[in-house]
Amino acid sequence: MQNNMSHFSLKSLFGAVFLFFAFSFGLKAQDGAKLFKQNCAVCHAVTDQKLTGPGLAGVYDRVQPGSLSKDAWLHSWIKNNEKLIKSGDAYANKIYNENGKAAMTVFESLSDPDIDAILVYIKNPPAPKADVASVPSAGSGEVKEEKGGIDPLYLLLGAIVIIALIIGALRSVRHSLQNSYNRKEGKEENPDITFNEEVKQWLGGHRRLVGVFVILVAFGGMKSCWDACYDLGVYYDWETQKGYHPEQPIKFSHKLHAGENEIACQYCHNSVEKSRHASIPTVNVCMNCHKAIQSGPEYKGKEIAKIYAASGFDPKSGNYTNPQNPIKWIKVHNLPDHVYFNHSQHVVVGKQECATCHGDVKKMTTVEQKAPLTMGWCIDCHRKTEVAMEGNAYYDRIHKALKEKYKGQYDVKFTVDKIGGLECAKCHY
Amino acid sequence: MNLSYKNLKLVTCGTFAVILVAGFTSCGKKDVNSPGFEFMPDMYRSPSVESYGSHVINGDTLDNAMLPVTGSISRGYIPYVYPNTPEGYEQAGLYLKNPTVYSEAVEKEGEVLFGKFCVHCHGVAGAGDGKVAMKLPGPPPAYNGALKNLPEGKIFHSITYGKNSMGPHQSLVTQEERWKLVYYVQKLQGRKTVAHDSVEVEEFDAAGNSHIFKKAAPKK
Repeated sequence: MQNNMSHFSLKSLFGAVFLFFAFSFGLKAQDGAKLFKQNCAVCHAVTDQKLTGPGLAGVYDRVQPGSLSKDAWLHSWIKNNEKLIKSGDAYANKIYNENGKAAMTVFESLSDPDIDAILVYIKNPPAPKADVASVPSAGSGEVKEEKGGIDPLYLLLGAIVIIALIIGALRSVRHSLQNSYNRKEGKEENPDITFNEEVKQWLGGHRRLVGVFVILVAFGGMKSCWDACYDLGVYYDWETQKGYHPEQPIKFSHKLHAGENEIACQYCHNSVEKSRHASIPTVNVCMNCHKAIQSGPEYKGKEIAKIYAASGFDPKSGNYTNPQNPIKWIKVHNLPDHVYFNHSQHVVVGKQECATCHGDVKKMTTVEQKAPLTMGWCIDCHRKTEVAMEGNAYYDRIHKALKEKYKGQYDVKFTVDKIGGLECAKCHY
Repeated sequence: MNLSYKNLKLVTCGTFAVILVAGFTSCGKKDVNSPGFEFMPDMYRSPSVESYGSHVINGDTLDNAMLPVTGSISRGYIPYVYPNTPEGYEQAGLYLKNPTVYSEAVEKEGEVLFGKFCVHCHGVAGAGDGKVAMKLPGPPPAYNGALKNLPEGKIFHSITYGKNSMGPHQSLVTQEERWKLVYYVQKLQGRKTVAHDSVEVEEFDAAGNSHIFKKAAPKK
């Protein structure tokens, strides 16, 4: 640590030297950007967006420095705002009260040229890239609605109607043709039979065709019944090995949050080690980051705005003043009600990884059910998984007893089923 | 004439058959938002009230994820006396001391918790270089830099209520876990000696009310 510290001070020394030279060469604005990012950006934006502190756009026009010059006032405010407030400066006290008496950090370490550089940067902020992009792409950023083909059922119905019309037309044409032919030959006219009778006659005359047709229909019916069996409610498509993956009310991507940003599963699902439920995170957990991060890579601010709508957050003022609405997330992993499953038991005592049952969520844009969650699947895992007894105080006693009992049988594996993992009442009660 | 008429009939019937068979065998567009057909739905949805469900009780629909009733407290809840104000922050820095007895194991637990709840912003070494910090308007200050001399009470207060861009984490980590985190944060700050190995009972006054804060006795 000592070594680290000397390294650190060396670094800051170099930084100071670099800054000095940078100033001499007129790189003010760039340094201002760096200094601003290091010291101010935690609480202030250069736009008029309020973070912890007010947005700094137009701060030069706002300041009412009284007897001081604008620059001198800003310098003394940035260096030690507490002192300025205590000195009874009217404007200092005014903004202190306006911002809920939140104390701004004192920056005695910043030199006058440093502050100048920051002020230059605030006066000439970089073009707001993200904001410009977010306006036109609010619509275009949306994923195009997939325009699926027309439902085959409607095609079929349409075809049936057209064919019925053709049959009807052909029937009357044939009838009149036959009659005129008969008249010409001097035969009797055809009796005017009904459609039903004619169909019966036709079916009687084409038994082979009808037979083939019936077989085809029966086969088709059987196949659709067979397909429907795969849809029976286990929330899992056995055919495609694809699980239930509904669209959620907010297009939240686990790939972005857990994958790219490397946020631990437990940060949001924070009751997984304490409770039966892994829990759906409450909106305040989202707001821990999204109070500051107001635009995302895929949908810009569109989906994040839904969090604000739910939490009642007003991004303009930075306060929770709007009405709140719960987000109705859709549950992906459903167990029947008569099954008891406890997350903390499996994660803490059983030392199971989240991915064992939920798959590689870090790569999922929309969460998909990876395991079938059937009883067979549970039992299978209980038969295969060895209990992690070493270094687990929970099993100290039973481990000792089991070692005594199975003395000499070295190949015995203590799987979950050996300690009652298959008992009905463990899960059904 | 006769022949072509028969052909016409065959073609018509053939088309009809093909369309019918195609209709039966083609797979319809599957709705991804549908969980599938529930066989015996009464087994999936019993009348008992489950978490994250939507239930109708006496005509009122209780939706999932509702706020607890005002005034309800969780089991094992310990009140935290310092208010979420600048004065409370200063007072916590002065008076609030870590009640958890220090040990290597406790610090290790703090490290594990740090890996779950802090590292994505504050970075592995607490330098403010986590993956999420890169996306924040400004990265969090380094533990061994600007926050080097932050007292334990202020660390605890900041975890509880949040500070600047950081949000409140009191619903995520319990008080006990927060104190374990404090030990690990202090290690990243560059603490060399263990701060709390003595028996001490402290009394102090906060926000005009008298509160007694007992420190846990150290291990024998």
